[in-house]
Amino acid sequence: MLEPFVEAIAYMFGNPITFLLIIFAVIWGIAFGSVPGLTGIVGVALLIPFTFVFDPTEGLLLLGGVYVGSTFGGSISAILFNTPGSPEAACTALDGYPMAKRGQAGKALGIALSASAIGGIFGTVVLTLLAPPMARLALSFGPPEYFALAVLGITAISGIGGGSLLKGLTAGLLGLGVATVGLDPITGMERYTFGNLGLLTGVSFVPAIIGMFALAEVLQRVSESHRTPEATAKVSTQLPTLRELLATRITLLRSSTVGAIIGALPGVGATTAAFISYSEAVRWSKHPEAFGTGVAEGIAAPEAANNSAVGGSMIPLLALGIPGSATTAVMLGGLTIHGIIPGPLLMQQNTQLVYSVFLGMMLANVLMLLFGLPAARYFALILRAPYALVGPAIVVLCMTGVYALNSNPFDVAVMLIMGATGFLLRRLQYPVASFIIGLVLGPIAELSLRQGLMIVDYSYWAFASRPITAVLLLAALASLVYGFYGQYRRHRARRTAVGVMSIPPAPTNGATSGGVREGAQPP
Amino acid sequence: MFSMPRGTAPTLAAICALALTVAANPTRAEAQTYPSRSIEVVHQYGAGGGTDRFIRAVGVPFEDVTGQALVPISVQGGGGIPAYANFRLRRSDGYALMAIGPDQVIAHALGRIDINTLMPLARVQYDQGLFIVRSDSPFETIHDLIATAKADPGAIKVGITGAAGFDETLVGLWNLRSGAEVTAVPFGSAEMVSNTLGGQVDAMYEEYGPARGLLESGDLRALVVFSEQRLPVLPDVPTAQELGYDVTLGRWRAFAMHADADPDHAAVLVDAIAHAVETDSYKTFEAQSALQYRSVLLGPSDFRAFVDREAEVYTAVLTQLGFIQ
Repeated sequence: MLEPFVEAIAYMFGNPITFLLIIFAVIWGIAFGSVPGLTGIVGVALLIPFTFVFDPTEGLLLLGGVYVGSTFGGSISAILFNTPGSPEAACTALDGYPMAKRGQAGKALGIALSASAIGGIFGTVVLTLLAPPMARLALSFGPPEYFALAVLGITAISGIGGGSLLKGLTAGLLGLGVATVGLDPITGMERYTFGNLGLLTGVSFVPAIIGMFALAEVLQRVSESHRTPEATAKVSTQLPTLRELLATRITLLRSSTVGAIIGALPGVGATTAAFISYSEAVRWSKHPEAFGTGVAEGIAAPEAANNSAVGGSMIPLLALGIPGSATTAVMLGGLTIHGIIPGPLLMQQNTQLVYSVFLGMMLANVLMLLFGLPAARYFALILRAPYALVGPAIVVLCMTGVYALNSNPFDVAVMLIMGATGFLLRRLQYPVASFIIGLVLGPIAELSLRQGLMIVDYSYWAFASRPITAVLLLAALASLVYGFYGQYRRHRARRTAVGVMSIPPAPTNGATSGGVREGAQPP
Repeated sequence: MFSMPRGTAPTLAAICALALTVAANPTRAEAQTYPSRSIEVVHQYGAGGGTDRFIRAVGVPFEDVTGQALVPISVQGGGGIPAYANFRLRRSDGYALMAIGPDQVIAHALGRIDINTLMPLARVQYDQGLFIVRSDSPFETIHDLIATAKADPGAIKVGITGAAGFDETLVGLWNLRSGAEVTAVPFGSAEMVSNTLGGQVDAMYEEYGPARGLLESGDLRALVVFSEQRLPVLPDVPTAQELGYDVTLGRWRAFAMHADADPDHAAVLVDAIAHAVETDSYKTFEAQSALQYRSVLLGPSDFRAFVDREAEVYTAVLTQLGFIQ
């Protein structure tokens, strides 16, 4: 166990350029992650030709560092402008942006960064210690298990509505419906394309989230600008205190675990991990209704999960030669060009390469924290710029970013339409999060349901009675029932509360927050 | 650096990109007029996939020969139609190429695109696929699989990549020719491998190169190869032809231009590609990807004949399978 580490450390100190490469890669990754449309995949793909001049280990360290950096980078623009720089960060915008809007941008960025680093380190540790067994675990997930996992995530739609279960479900079903547009994943037939060439590719996720979040937010701000005072003056660059971070420790642990496992599943990556762990954070929270208004757990959950998924998705890549995500698929291509044959023998034959990657990714996460924390305060200052400048810049960035992603002008149209839809949904107080979860998890649920049914010759019992599938589906059912029950209970509690109000109120001491209550203790 | 108030990240990205571009592109283009800037190659597959790597691998020596880069442009999804549309919208000025393969011939056979709008330049790669099972599969040889498939048609599930594309056509052809009917289940390429390894499906259809690591480690076994000859690396794996079933279709990768492109430009490109694929750099890549077994470079006229022949075969197969009425 230790020997390969010693070998890897010796290698890295023997080639000090590796440290420079990692530093460069993390900064490059953060930059690519934070600009909408550039994403980590593009960042990695662009660097592949440059890895030719390095040896394979250096090349992989470079790409791994970019992957780590870009997964965090997306959260910067998600928090500051409600513009997820990369799909992985879409979920972070749900609570990150409201917190920043309250003037606590520094705190939101700090939480995102710490959660990213903790999740990233967790994922790397899992990768280092458990890669082969985790890879075997991932192999026991067939289409029925993917389906059950997606269903479990989707049922959280009902919990996210905040107020209304009905509105949450409506938005979620709308998302699921939009996800069916395009070519049928099994038969290749056209669905809801109306002969339109652009709709063949379906409603792509990145244009959809950028429209739903960023453009809708700009529309919202423009529509209310005449009555909101400029929030810029009270932007705080205050970082979260250690206590605030420790308060999210359970969420961090749960999300990191979820992230590492989902990351290790081929075909589903950091984005799914972020949304499912957000769903779980809502489900297990004592105050689920507060999610979406800027709570720390709502930032910590997706960020810990998506960064943990980075380590997770390296598991099947290094242990089996199967990419766990789109970005690792590009890295796989890079490895092959270097003459490395990815497969189970890689970990035995190229220990120096594999263990250097473990160390490199660990280092990348630590560096991200060291550089990022002081930088987060300055990033927060961006919000002090007048919105009249920031708003148009966001729109331009969204347009070019969405176009650059796939060189497809139709994606820009999708973004514009989704922007209008998002604006409308928010006006009518339908939760955008539910819509997005439907859009992300819908295709996974549909494809895996149909694959799974083909595999078991359309026997629904054989499909649902597989152990992991059954447990996940039952959990989903339980969560739905619990959700309805909770709604009912809250509804009743509200009624009782209204009754209580008519009784003359007890002397109040403004006991809303813990701090105040402490001060109001009888002497 | 971090004290820059706004747009730090985009600026940084731009500077990095610029620095790297400058470092990588010493001006060598004065010598010739065409190509005088980089050439974009549209394709329908993802970054890091076989076609993306193909373009990059040819691109490295291509740049040494011409001084200009080949830049892969990935336009994914929609069964390749958006990629084709994207290419057709580009000007026919010699700076837009399309990487084509059997999927374009299939789309042509299905009437979705018109392959005659493309000028075939050079077919570079010609791959061969295999039916592959996991090591502890009950199927020891292809004969076991055929026996089971004939006894219970459709019971055997074979993972393929993509829906209604090349893989499905090949499996359909196998079903027609062998009578050993299997069910093709479409996956993404990563999930196809994991579901085969995990025993969720009985077998998968995959080319040798991508499966190489798992074949060498013994986690996967090949049962049959779809080619004219056995693979030197898998001497014990029979060809489908040996079994009496004429299934030799394989994935190929090639370059095409607009049909009305300047013939002089086409000649320059064909020449440059022919030089590029003879270099050590490309040969090494070819060997690493296990693509050397039947990849004979076909120039424009041979390639056109090849495409015409393929179009006939695919039209016949797709008609028999019921995809074409």
